[in-house]
Amino acid sequence: MAILMDESTARTPPVDLGGAHQGAALIADKIGIVFPARGPVVHEAEITGDDRMVWTSRGRLKGIRALEDISFSLRQGDRLAIVGRNGSGKTTLLQVLAGILSPVSGQLTTTGRVTSLININLGIQPEATGHRNITLRGLAAGYSHKAIEAKRAEIMEFSELGEFLDLPLEAYSSGMRMRLTFSIATAFEPEILILDEWLSAGDVSFKKKATGRMREFVSKAGILVLASHSRKLIQDNCDTAIWLDNGRIREFGPAEQVVNAYEADQKQTKDDPGTLAGAA
Amino acid sequence: MTLKSSVTTTTVGTNRVNFDPLLAIRDVVDGFSRRSLWMAFAIDQIQQRYRRSRIGFAWIIVSYLIFVGSISLFFGNFSDLAHRHFTAYVAINYAIFQFLMANISDGCAVFRSAKTWISSTPLPHSIHVFKSIARSLFVFVVCLIVAFIVLLVLGQKFSPVALLSIPAFIVLLINAVFIQITFGYAAARYRDVDYFMQSITRILFFTTPILWVRDEHMKTGLRLALSEFNPFTHALEIFSSPLLGELPDPKSWIIIGWLTIANCVIAICVAGVSHRRLAFWL
Repeated sequence: MAILMDESTARTPPVDLGGAHQGAALIADKIGIVFPARGPVVHEAEITGDDRMVWTSRGRLKGIRALEDISFSLRQGDRLAIVGRNGSGKTTLLQVLAGILSPVSGQLTTTGRVTSLININLGIQPEATGHRNITLRGLAAGYSHKAIEAKRAEIMEFSELGEFLDLPLEAYSSGMRMRLTFSIATAFEPEILILDEWLSAGDVSFKKKATGRMREFVSKAGILVLASHSRKLIQDNCDTAIWLDNGRIREFGPAEQVVNAYEADQKQTKDDPGTLAGAA
Repeated sequence: MTLKSSVTTTTVGTNRVNFDPLLAIRDVVDGFSRRSLWMAFAIDQIQQRYRRSRIGFAWIIVSYLIFVGSISLFFGNFSDLAHRHFTAYVAINYAIFQFLMANISDGCAVFRSAKTWISSTPLPHSIHVFKSIARSLFVFVVCLIVAFIVLLVLGQKFSPVALLSIPAFIVLLINAVFIQITFGYAAARYRDVDYFMQSITRILFFTTPILWVRDEHMKTGLRLALSEFNPFTHALEIFSSPLLGELPDPKSWIIIGWLTIANCVIAICVAGVSHRRLAFWL
C-alpha cells in the first residue's frame, strides 16, 4: 500500500532519507493551500454556504482554500492517480508536489528530481528553430547542455521533423509543433513524474507511436503522480488513487476502488441538479 | 542514462517559517549557477527583439547615437564645458544611466513577466533576474563601445584613472541584482510599485547630472539638494568621472558603498518574506 494515512507515520519525518540511496520519495504531511483573495472584497454576510472561503474575524474575504489536510506518502515504484471534478484541487496539488507552490500549512518532503509536465510548452520560442527549441526546452527542464546533446538525435528521429528542425517553429503546422514538444518532453528519464493528463500528439499513426513512447517514459519513473479523468489510463498506469473533493481527500486506496466510488458519485450528482451548483 | 542527478531531500512548508532569508540567498546562488539556462534565454530574447527589423542590433547603436547627437547639438552651449567635452560627458553618462534605469524598469516586471515559468516549474526565481540583467548588460556594452569610439573621435585621452571605473561598474552590477530582486517581488505583490517607479524614473532623468554638470551647480539650493540626494548622481560619478579623466569624488564612493550594503540587506529581507509567496501573487 502506497498511501499511509496513519497519523503517526505521516507526521514523523523520515530520518534516514538523506543517507543511503533508497530511490525517490514524496511525503505530504497535512498540506493545506489557501489562495489569497484578490479583487473586490465581499462581505461574509452576503455569501453563505461554501466552506472553501476563508474569512477574517471582521467578516472580510481572506482567501480561497484550495487544499486542506492532504497527507500521503509515496515511495519508489508507487503509482498514484488523482481524480476529482473541476475545482477540486487537482492542479493545485500537482503544483505543490512539483515544488511550485509552497504549502501554506503542513509540509512536503521530496527526495529525488521532480519532472513536472504541467506545461510542456514552457520555454518554447516560436521564433527560434526546432533545434534551438530542443536546447531551450531542455535547459528549462533543468538539463545540462551535455545531457541535451546526448538526446538530440533521438528527439530528431522520433519527432519525424527532419529538416524542419532547422526552421523556426512559426513555419510548423500545429501538429508538427505538438510532435516536437511531445518528443522533447518525453526524452529524459524522470525520477518523480508529475502529469496533468496524459500526453499525446499527432495523427493516427503518430499517436500510436506516441502512446508506446509515453508508456515507456512513464514506466521509467520512480514515482508517478497522474491527474486524469480517464478510467482506462488510471487502470493501466496506477495502483493507488486519491479522490479529491473540495480540496480534501474524500477517499484513497486501490485505484480501481476509488475510481468506482468517484464515478458512482459523479452519476448521482448528475441526477441531482441541486448539488451541481457546488461545482466550480 | 546520461542524466546524473544527485539525490537530494528537500522539505517545504511554511507553517513555522514566514521569513526565510537563507532560502533567498540559496535562490540567488542556485540561480547564478544555472548560467547556461539564463544566458541562453537572454540571448534568445535579444535576438527576438530585433529579429524582424532590417538593421537588427544596429538599432541599439542608432538610437543611442541619435540621442547623444541631438543632446550635444541642442544643449552643447548650455554648459561651461567645451562642446567636445560636453558631448563626451553626455555619451558616457547616458550609457550608464540607461543601464541603471533599465534595471529598475525591468526589475519591476521581472517576475510578473515570468508568470508562466514561475507557475509551472520550480526553478530559482533569481534566474529571471540574471536573465534580465544579462539582457540590459548586452545593450550597455554595445553603447559603451560606441561611446568609446565617440570619445576617441573627439580626441579624448584615457589616463590610467579610467581603470577606476571597472570596480565602479562591478559594484553597480551587484546592485542591479539586489534592485531587481527587491523591485521584482515588491511589484509582483503591489502593482502600484510599478506605476510609482514609472513616474519617478522620468524625474530622475532630469535630477541626475546627465545633461548638466554637477560642479557648475554646486551653489544653487534645490538642484544641488536634489542631485545630492539622488543615488544615481553618485553612481554616475564613480563610473563616468574616471573615464573622463577625473578622480571620482570619494564621498560618492562612500555613499555607493553604504547603499550597496543597504540594498543587499533590503533585498534579502524582501526575498526572505516573499520567496514562498511569489507563486500565489502572480
